[in-house]
Amino acid sequence: MAKRLKKLIIYIFISIVALISLYPLIYMAFNSLKDNNEIFSTNIYGLPTHFYFRNYISAVTQFDMPLFFKNSAIVAGVTVAFTVLIGMMFSYATARMKWKLANVTRIYGIIGMFIPVQIIIIPLVIIVRDLHIQHSLLSIIIPYIAFNLSFTSMVFYASFRSLPFELEEAASIDGANIYTTFFRIILPLVKPAIATTAIFIFLNSWNELFTAMIIINDNALKTLPLGLLYFQGQFATDWGASSAALTIASLPPIIFYLFFSKQVENALTVGAAVKG
Amino acid sequence: MRNVLSKKAAIFIFVIPFIVLYTFIMMYPVFQTVIKSFYSWDGITAPSFIGLNNYKALLSDSDFLPSLKNGFIFAAVIFVVEQGVGTVLALLLSTKELRLKGSKFFRTSFFIPAVLSVSVVGQLWTQMYNYDHGLINNFLGLVGIGKVGFLSDPKLAIYSVAFTNGWQFMGIMFVFIYTAIKSIPEQYYEAATIDGASPAMIHRKITLPLIAETYKVTFTMSITGGLQAFNNMFIMTGGGPGNATMTLTYLMYKSAFQRGEFGYGCASAVILVAECLLFTLLINKFVARERIAY
Repeated sequence: MAKRLKKLIIYIFISIVALISLYPLIYMAFNSLKDNNEIFSTNIYGLPTHFYFRNYISAVTQFDMPLFFKNSAIVAGVTVAFTVLIGMMFSYATARMKWKLANVTRIYGIIGMFIPVQIIIIPLVIIVRDLHIQHSLLSIIIPYIAFNLSFTSMVFYASFRSLPFELEEAASIDGANIYTTFFRIILPLVKPAIATTAIFIFLNSWNELFTAMIIINDNALKTLPLGLLYFQGQFATDWGASSAALTIASLPPIIFYLFFSKQVENALTVGAAVKG
Repeated sequence: MRNVLSKKAAIFIFVIPFIVLYTFIMMYPVFQTVIKSFYSWDGITAPSFIGLNNYKALLSDSDFLPSLKNGFIFAAVIFVVEQGVGTVLALLLSTKELRLKGSKFFRTSFFIPAVLSVSVVGQLWTQMYNYDHGLINNFLGLVGIGKVGFLSDPKLAIYSVAFTNGWQFMGIMFVFIYTAIKSIPEQYYEAATIDGASPAMIHRKITLPLIAETYKVTFTMSITGGLQAFNNMFIMTGGGPGNATMTLTYLMYKSAFQRGEFGYGCASAVILVAECLLFTLLINKFVARERIAY
């Protein structure tokens, strides 16, 4: 009996924590379908009573939601593709190719993990200005690629080292050159590492605020996290519409997580571990 | 074989994009920041050398000590939420004897906030903390407690802001600790159970020491993450009320990007990074002093 009571108490505790984790998001989704009257007084906690879709229309029309969404998608997509490619090539050269400075170069590439963005940002603003890219999405894509390189190279280094060295030997006997060997034979074997790094970099760049906020000034270049900030000022009193905008911005990562939870958890913990 | 893997041209092509980008965008700015912290510099005209003056001015800046203190409070709050709650949940859900169901569901619930943007989390919680209409004050009214100025009370604001960060990332820490516990070999527990040890005893004597290496990582993340805090207060309070939620990063942001004192901003960035390094070293020294292999 005491044992069952203890178990019940533990369940209640865990459920309360789960509720605290989840309910704010449910509250946000509910609010996105309510008018202010419901949100503020008549129906604070529960399901919306008459699905007020106008909030989504205001979020999309009065405000540049589609533009911000598009910018975020471009930034995240390009950043993922180039970071993975550049990081992978670097790790391959340092993990499997034979040259004197391989190890020194690899270690040089890891130092970035211990560098917080705060100590980079001021000179970075000047660099972006000097490169004359401040009026293009490249002004944040290039820094995002650089920020994620150390992490990417570490993950790929580990998986390249775990492959048997006979692979290149066999390929070279078959007459394949180094590029064919790398792209056709080695890459397909490190797909799990590609998934881990791609997910981590995607979420990172989709959600990044600090660098984007400091570097981007043009409204036309704002990414979602940045665009949402100015929504808050403009529509501070219209909680329904702002909840709709927050919901739109949150759906892609949440849906992605629900479909690939194992990989996302793995990517975020590996990423965090490597960064810590 | 030898030829293929030691082809100089290929090595060069594989390495050079990384080296150029990384050196130019990551390493070079670090040196620039350190050097420019000794200069008076507005980011436009030529910088002039002023020695340690930026650092001296920083120490007497009325925002400096509050910023330092708020960094500590932020770190402490997220440490308790992330490591404390994360550990308790991980221990409960991984204890075999309890046979708890639904661990997959719980894990997903704890983790979801971590995939959101801090922009979303900050604004959502600003609404929830709202004095007049916020969810939490409504709820407190329901159970007969008066309204609380979560973000407007200067004493409380930093705790409210820090909590939202802990709320967001507790799930990552939970998965971290939970995975570490799950990787401990079963025999350890069997032996301890045969010897008649209670679950609490087993966790204290076996689980926690064996995941000390993981703690080294998660502790460093919570503490340095807390010291570097900025986004949450930038969105929720703007550093206020007054300077009640200022942090070192905020100080750097304000001096460099609002007042155009780039050299001064560099000095606060250097102080911040030195502080983070110090704590990383301390954690490495005092957590998991003996490496345990199994």
